[in-house]
Amino acid sequence: MLLTYNKKRNHRIRQNILRGVYEDNLKIIGKGPEVIYKHRYYVPKRFLLPVVLSFLVIVLQSNFASAPFLPEKQPVSGPRSMPVLALNADESEGPSHYKAFISTPGMPISRIFGLGVRTIMIDPGHGGNDTGTKGQNGTKEKDIALDIAKRLRDRLKKSGNFNILMTRDQDVTVPLNRRVEMAKLSRADLFISVHLNYLPSRPINMIETYYFGPSSDPKVLKLAEKENADSSYSISDFKDIIGKIGETMKLQESKEFAASIQKKLFMNSRKENGNVYNFGVKRAPFVVLLGVDVPAVLAEVSCLSNSEEEVQLNTEQHREHIARYLELGILDYLNKGDVTYEARRQTDR
Amino acid sequence: MKQDDRQTDENILFVGIDLGTSRSSISASNSTREWTESYVGWPKDFIAMQVVGKPVLFGAEALANRLSLDLCRPLEHGVIKEGISRNEEAVKDIIKHLIELAKPAEGQKIHAVVGVPADTLKVNKLAIRRAVSEAVDSLMVVTEPFAVAYGLNLLNNSLVIDIGAGTTDFCIMHGTIPTEDDQKTILTAGDYVDDQLFSYLVEKYPSARFNKNMVRQFKEQYSFVKDMAEDIQVEIPVNGKLVPHDIKNEIKRACESIMPALTETTIEMIARFDPEFQIKIKNHIVLAGGGSLIRGIREYLQDALKEYGQCNVTCVEDPLFAGSDGALKLAKDMPAKYWEPL
Repeated sequence: MLLTYNKKRNHRIRQNILRGVYEDNLKIIGKGPEVIYKHRYYVPKRFLLPVVLSFLVIVLQSNFASAPFLPEKQPVSGPRSMPVLALNADESEGPSHYKAFISTPGMPISRIFGLGVRTIMIDPGHGGNDTGTKGQNGTKEKDIALDIAKRLRDRLKKSGNFNILMTRDQDVTVPLNRRVEMAKLSRADLFISVHLNYLPSRPINMIETYYFGPSSDPKVLKLAEKENADSSYSISDFKDIIGKIGETMKLQESKEFAASIQKKLFMNSRKENGNVYNFGVKRAPFVVLLGVDVPAVLAEVSCLSNSEEEVQLNTEQHREHIARYLELGILDYLNKGDVTYEARRQTDR
Repeated sequence: MKQDDRQTDENILFVGIDLGTSRSSISASNSTREWTESYVGWPKDFIAMQVVGKPVLFGAEALANRLSLDLCRPLEHGVIKEGISRNEEAVKDIIKHLIELAKPAEGQKIHAVVGVPADTLKVNKLAIRRAVSEAVDSLMVVTEPFAVAYGLNLLNNSLVIDIGAGTTDFCIMHGTIPTEDDQKTILTAGDYVDDQLFSYLVEKYPSARFNKNMVRQFKEQYSFVKDMAEDIQVEIPVNGKLVPHDIKNEIKRACESIMPALTETTIEMIARFDPEFQIKIKNHIVLAGGGSLIRGIREYLQDALKEYGQCNVTCVEDPLFAGSDGALKLAKDMPAKYWEPL
């Protein structure tokens, strides 16, 4: 009995996997779901005629009951005149469609609801007394982060589509709570914080992008503790803010945003330097991400503990490249679901 | 899988191809199994063409004639470099060569499942398809570790670690086709060991003359981690004379250099999985790819993971063909209707 069950289960898993491989490959060649559904919902022809006939009878008997060609049926009024096929509220497809609609992978909420992103706030990490990390040759995180952020601002401004704001454009100390306030007051639609990493134990170059969320990784928590210093938030403030985590939409959006940034940043960086590591998209309790109400990410765009990378970061060209990859990440996130953009992206590949 | 769901046309040859950074193999439904080193070489000029006598050379033959050839290893670092048509050309030629080795009957259609390093699939899916599709009638591309997992029937609660030349790919199987989140690629793999070994040998024997190819051969012959009783001596020319050199320590250091990243990523992959199923995954860790041939690697990883609880690490029996055999199984199991649009 158990053997048969396992066999059946294995068979089902295998079928799902085979369909998954097929659908994945259809996506690669840009064929839409209609090709998939054509097979998935295949109905043998011999069943089709009775189904169509039954459907017609039901519809005609309800919607068109008062029509002269069905005189034996008395006209009805009130609720009974509702089409037979209409479902009760809890049975209707509304809520599940809505859920599916909201959770459409890769589609920003802004696009689903036709909302535009007007204001982007760029937050260069650290500044002033807070130098952030420091490379072996003395390169400071605060300086590189500011330079990359300015380049990103200039690039995004050129498009003329966005209002670009920065939490600092000079080497000044700005507490984290102030940065959060600035984002809120300016009604920013998107928030990106630019940082550089430092791994004392491993002299590698790596890229990672964070969005707000709990983490059990001690390394991540340590990094968060470091980045949260000088936040000027008290525990009670923090509790209040944590209460807002119910806003899952922001989390979902931040995750999508982080994925786009990480993807563009890593893929392009690796073309220049095969030794860069992809540490992926992660969750971490950074105060600066929590306080902002809109999609927010913190990108660790490079790693200062890698001496070769430190040398590179001191070249204008490399910083400009990083800014460009961040810009690509932002545009990638904003344009997901846009047919023209997706088509162009397919041909660009 | 029901037999009638599958493509049963005898006029179709199903092939599974493992397109690796270092070696590529093919397994076909006519029971052919062949492999070649993933090198392609084209004669540099007319004279070179006269010397080698062929317009394109593959694998060991290409390596042996490399001085007369423009040599290309198209999936170096695990990806086809975008915009470099020579690499795409090389992939096309390797696939064509492998399919010739599978000896399809005249007029027989080829339905192929091709396994590629996980990063290749993430980064340049279309380039791979473009390069491969000319040689086959219908094509599906999957990641190498997934093909291995499918072939070994490790469809649920298992972790496959494919240690290749350019990349080490991790793939968690949990009853569905793995998503990008279920897979991870790191660059510490066979080529990294070669680089390390090369630099250790240069440092220890500055007057010895050797190249990367020789170093790779040393690694393939003697690789080990942990301990090994016998000495490792190889003959390397010094001032034109072959002199025996002891390379045991250097081999050990180089091979063990990939272990921290391998262990760390294994732990990370398990930790990010649903906690309820982590124990099951820990008991189904499978090492595949050329790196699984490093002596002692299974024990090393198992020991390193011990502190995280009971675990069981095994190695695939035939790393050279595990990927292509898995891809062939996928091809044969795939319902006929799925091949049509591809």
